[in-house]
Amino acid sequence: MAEQPALSLDGATKDYGHGRGVFDEQLDVDQGSVVGFLGANGAGKTVTMRMLMGFIRPDRGAACIAGLDCFRDRAAVQTRVGYLPGEVSCPTDMTGIAFLNFMTALRADGAHVAHGRRAVEARMGELIDRFDLDPSARIGRMSKGTRQKVAIVAAFMGSPDVLLLDEPTSGLDPLMQERFVELVREERARGATVFLSSHMFPEVERTCDRVAFLKAGHIVGVEDMAAVRAARARTFLITFADAAEAGRYRAAHPEATVPAAEGTGREIVTSHDVAANMSLTVRVSGTVSGFVKDLAEYRVADLASREQSLEDMFLHLYGDRETGGGGTNGMTGALTGKEDAR
Amino acid sequence: MIAALYARGAKTSLIPTVIIAAVLAMYTTLITALYDPDASAALDAMMKTMPGLFDAFGMGDDTTTLMGFLLNYLYGFLYVLFPLVLILLLVHRLVIRPIDRGSMAYLLASPHRRGAVVGTLAAVMLTMLAALMVFLTVLEFGTAAVLFPDEQLGIGLLRVNAGLSALWLCMAGLSLLSACAFRDAAPALWAGGGFVIVEFVAQMVAQAGDRFKDIRYATFLTLFDRYGLADGDGTAIWQAVALAVVGVASLAAAMTAFVRRDLEV
Repeated sequence: MAEQPALSLDGATKDYGHGRGVFDEQLDVDQGSVVGFLGANGAGKTVTMRMLMGFIRPDRGAACIAGLDCFRDRAAVQTRVGYLPGEVSCPTDMTGIAFLNFMTALRADGAHVAHGRRAVEARMGELIDRFDLDPSARIGRMSKGTRQKVAIVAAFMGSPDVLLLDEPTSGLDPLMQERFVELVREERARGATVFLSSHMFPEVERTCDRVAFLKAGHIVGVEDMAAVRAARARTFLITFADAAEAGRYRAAHPEATVPAAEGTGREIVTSHDVAANMSLTVRVSGTVSGFVKDLAEYRVADLASREQSLEDMFLHLYGDRETGGGGTNGMTGALTGKEDAR
Repeated sequence: MIAALYARGAKTSLIPTVIIAAVLAMYTTLITALYDPDASAALDAMMKTMPGLFDAFGMGDDTTTLMGFLLNYLYGFLYVLFPLVLILLLVHRLVIRPIDRGSMAYLLASPHRRGAVVGTLAAVMLTMLAALMVFLTVLEFGTAAVLFPDEQLGIGLLRVNAGLSALWLCMAGLSLLSACAFRDAAPALWAGGGFVIVEFVAQMVAQAGDRFKDIRYATFLTLFDRYGLADGDGTAIWQAVALAVVGVASLAAAMTAFVRRDLEV
């Protein structure tokens, strides 16, 4: 309980004017945990990462890693940190392997080498193999995904205590994303603390124990992943065998017509592009087994799951309350209701 | 000093340095070879036809000795402008472009103090300038020894080159300060580089005729008094020391700016 958090934001604020920046961020990340930082583009994820890396100084408050101020003590902080920038910008004139060797040498030159150089090089080789990376090409000629792999290897090869990963799977194909997820799980098992930003819930869902929601520069909530997973709504596009069957479904669920009655856990959100009235879009909160059992009574031609947009997820979890004093005190609205239902 | 970064910076800087060194080597040997004590009358005659133009480029002075000839044709324009181009190229490659493109993030993410990072990059630039100076000095003495064994360049030229080094240091300091102080790439390059170019143009105008000669007090380039240095004049030496002090102070200010600023990389 008294253990110092591996990473903390204590009222960290960086105001760029016109509502841009991050405001009064409060967050503690325990050692050995994997926390996702979820927000839309421009919500302030990268600004937060830069504060944690000591690249920018908060206007107010502080960002700390292992109890050290990230701006003031950045050289000491960075001995413990592996960083994957949001915009991968490795020097384009170097080959991948030259860049990785350069980064190894740069760390070895430092005051503190957490792991011996040989260990770093061995780990580099493992990671290169794991991601099927050919590091011999010049970085300037690599595809976006390949550059991302180079950046991932650079971030992980030092086996750091803390990993700061800004949109880590951007540009990776699904197979490589899966390997990345495995890697993060292994790092957690090793005891590393991982702070991972993303604008895609599934990426965070697969890797993280907790998730902090960021909206317009404010942390609006920090939740356990299991609770979010249980509470979040899923949207399904059902295509019935014919229009009559779709009509029968609709008639059987009058309570689900938009706007959904409070607490029914199901909404029929019919989009305009449905083919010949055969399709319905249905949003289901909480567990889906009841929905599936019920659906089995109908002649269904196709069933597709759609990802909920972040905006919808925020609305679903927190209602339309103002983002100002977000805080970390748990979800309201849908989630609370859902937990009661369980 | 970070050895790995120094090696990488030196590699990045080598090509522009070699190109500028090659251009200046060409001019140095060409101009030395053009010196002909007997033909100076003809050159003087040409100068008299376009006095303003030669003066503007700092080439309107006594050319009856090899020393005077070199000071006139190399040190007023070529040995100032080309090194400035090199300084701007190096500052761009080492500092401005990595910040602009974001690759500076990797240097900042390494466990080194920012002062060590920018100090190493400054050391790379100063090494290149020092190498260029040594190369040109050796070339001047070598060419003169081969072509005009009777002419003495001696300690006077070494004093001039030491003063020129102070001028280069000053230009490098101002350019690095601008690179470290400004957030966007264009002002980072052109606030410092543009300032030196404006000062350079002011010096050309001041040299062009008596009407504008007072402008020389408005440009720091005047502090580099090549004829005074050649003669061992005390004021000229103090002026060169002042240039070096401004250079060192600008470098220190550049490092401080780099350490304190926000780097959005």
